[in-house]
Amino acid sequence: MKITRNKWQNFIKNNLTMNTHKKHGFWHRYFFSLDHKDIGFQYMLTIFVMVSIGGFFAYVFRMHLAYPEMEVPLFGLVTNKDYNMLITNHGLIMMMWLALGMLLAVAGNYLIPIMIGTDDMAFPKLNKLSYWFFLISVILMISSFFMKRGGFGGGWTMYPPLSVGDFGYNTAYTSFKDRFFTANTFVLLAITFEFIALLMGGINFFVTTLNKRAKGMTLTKMPMIVWMINIASVLFMFSVGPLIAGAFMLLLDINAGTGFYDVYRGGDPLLWEHLFWFFGHPEVYVILLPPLGIIAEIISTNSRKPLYGYKFILNLTLIAAILSMMVWAHHQFVSGIDPRAATIFSIFTIIISLPFAGIILAYIATLWNGDLKINLPMKWAIGAITLFTLIGGFTGLYLGASVFDIYAHDTSFVVAHFHYTLFPTVIFGSFAAFYYWFGKFSGRELNKFWGNVHFWLTFIFFNGFAFPLFLLGLAGQHRRIADYRQFEFLMQDPLPLYRQIATISAVILILSQFIFIFNFFWSLKRGKKVTSDNPWESNTLEWQTASPPPHGNFAVYPEVHHGPYEYNHPDREDDFLPQNKK
Amino acid sequence: MRIFPENASSYGADVDFIFWLITGVITVASIIVIFLILYPILTKNKSRTKEQRYQQGKGFQKLKLIYLGIAILAIADFYFLFEEGPIWRNIEETLPEKEVHVIVMGRQWLWEFTYPGPDGKLYTADDVKTINKLYLPVNKNIHMDLQAYDVIHSVFIPHARFKQDVLPGRNITKWVKMTKTGTYPLTCAEICGIGHANMKAEIVVLLNEDYKKQMAKLYKK
Repeated sequence: MKITRNKWQNFIKNNLTMNTHKKHGFWHRYFFSLDHKDIGFQYMLTIFVMVSIGGFFAYVFRMHLAYPEMEVPLFGLVTNKDYNMLITNHGLIMMMWLALGMLLAVAGNYLIPIMIGTDDMAFPKLNKLSYWFFLISVILMISSFFMKRGGFGGGWTMYPPLSVGDFGYNTAYTSFKDRFFTANTFVLLAITFEFIALLMGGINFFVTTLNKRAKGMTLTKMPMIVWMINIASVLFMFSVGPLIAGAFMLLLDINAGTGFYDVYRGGDPLLWEHLFWFFGHPEVYVILLPPLGIIAEIISTNSRKPLYGYKFILNLTLIAAILSMMVWAHHQFVSGIDPRAATIFSIFTIIISLPFAGIILAYIATLWNGDLKINLPMKWAIGAITLFTLIGGFTGLYLGASVFDIYAHDTSFVVAHFHYTLFPTVIFGSFAAFYYWFGKFSGRELNKFWGNVHFWLTFIFFNGFAFPLFLLGLAGQHRRIADYRQFEFLMQDPLPLYRQIATISAVILILSQFIFIFNFFWSLKRGKKVTSDNPWESNTLEWQTASPPPHGNFAVYPEVHHGPYEYNHPDREDDFLPQNKK
Repeated sequence: MRIFPENASSYGADVDFIFWLITGVITVASIIVIFLILYPILTKNKSRTKEQRYQQGKGFQKLKLIYLGIAILAIADFYFLFEEGPIWRNIEETLPEKEVHVIVMGRQWLWEFTYPGPDGKLYTADDVKTINKLYLPVNKNIHMDLQAYDVIHSVFIPHARFKQDVLPGRNITKWVKMTKTGTYPLTCAEICGIGHANMKAEIVVLLNEDYKKQMAKLYKK
């Protein structure tokens, strides 16, 4: 007897998995569920907590920068030590927990199984374990703020010797207990646990994608977002090794008294910079690729047009992923590396702008001739590519050109640049995804009016916050300074005004996120029920099942006959053609 | 209103030139990209046939325009590299003939400057030191031995467009030539602990004879 894939999957689903179809209680659902959607939701709630902390830190230090003599409401007077701790942990939380967590763990968990038409991850228990490791990392991170010597304040890049202690290797630790219960140790452990979680998640995504696709879904019929999350996960796996090794050496330096980065004992602090940035630069592409996938889905669906150059985008992404491992030292042009090496990294850095230019142009080409539906997800998506390309991407050229980087390195110019690359992709991309898939995941609709208010406030005040930082950086304002009042050349008009504009905009930006939080939780419970399972008339498989999808995702396993972006097919009457429709 | 602080070094203008060059190119590029994004949104692409929307076959020619876009960006990119290469080699890879030699040492949280003593040589017993104040002569090639004592710091002289991280146990020699007299700030651009924000020094650029007088004063002390 021939066993088809669908029959086999149904057999597994009904007989062999731990997942039963009965409704679970609160405790089971939020702590022990093996369903990928529940695990995604757990990740999401945990990340909401982390983002609130990171956002609060941003509010405190921005207030302090603009009004240095003021006691910041809800915090009090900010000392230099507090300030270093606030900026460091803001960076760590936003980079490691928000960006990586939201775009790999949440997006991957929610979207991959359902978009490739299967019931769950390949390893549901590993998936659960990955969330538990993530939770431990969050607990370790939060507890690091309450150590006796205070929170970690060595910058999110954690350059030793400063990350060994407040006074480098001269820090007077009294005992092992004194060394271990420091924020430095706890932050390193937190990052290690988080990376273990993401590695388990990544391997799960990869195996699931390769082995559990619906019948007929060849690799090039997968939605772009599935590709992007997988490429990002694999890139993460390739690049994370050196950092883990480096972090372990740093952990030994703090706790076991070794001297891997102590130059007086044969080590070298520059070693850490290489290990860190060998991970740190591919990481920004790990963060960038999933939002590019999200934007691809949204733009193609709402342009009612096939995604322009599917394989072209895919090839460019693979090229960019490989190139991204050869550019790390552009963070180190003036760090003491051989200046001749900088030329090589400068060339690779400039070259890596080309594949991304191709991808963005392909997205713009998708808009052309399309039957554009400018709805909320589309606004976020277009906002994201506009800001990312025009400001985030183009300002990268200044920094990639090593000569100007001599001046701009470690100034607010860099801060503005990476906020313009990360905010449009991570935040705008996540919001695009929330507004696009919320109906599918909850069965209810987000309020459109408040969604629009949220979009415009975020768009305007993000620019109001980040753009003045370019001007401040060009005026020579260096980074991570608690108090600019003592630098006369940084207190000339209009620089203090720029700082205040940035701060006021940042505060409004943070406040306007409450609109989303209220909208999200209110709609989850009381929002209008969705009228259709496929409100955007999209082709991909997640829209071809109930909203919210039942346990196991599909009543009948879909069989795929078409690519994901067959909109306005000339032979069809409808302007869309679901992947599982013959 | 000026964008950069006043330039006071021989190579500062070259660094600013790279900024204006890139700004000029990306301004043009931005206008093109804004047009490409706004045109379909504003016109709504009404009255297109299904074939045009589906764009297989003939409609697929646009991919060649993307290659054109990439090619234009590649040309611009390599033009930047071509322009900046000699400047980078001048600032970072070459050392002009030494006229003055000083040591700049960063430590938590002050800057320590060492000048050669009456024998005219550094690293000898008669060297003299100043804290948080660096005296330099104008229009001379100054070699700086950049060092750090405890953690990583970074020497940043905004008015000279100069920056170099300093690492413990490593000696990095770079050069600068100040072209104007006056007092300029020298700051630490790499986070180095609680006192990072307070780590600032002054560079006093003097005429040659004033510099010699100042050195003589230091020897007496």
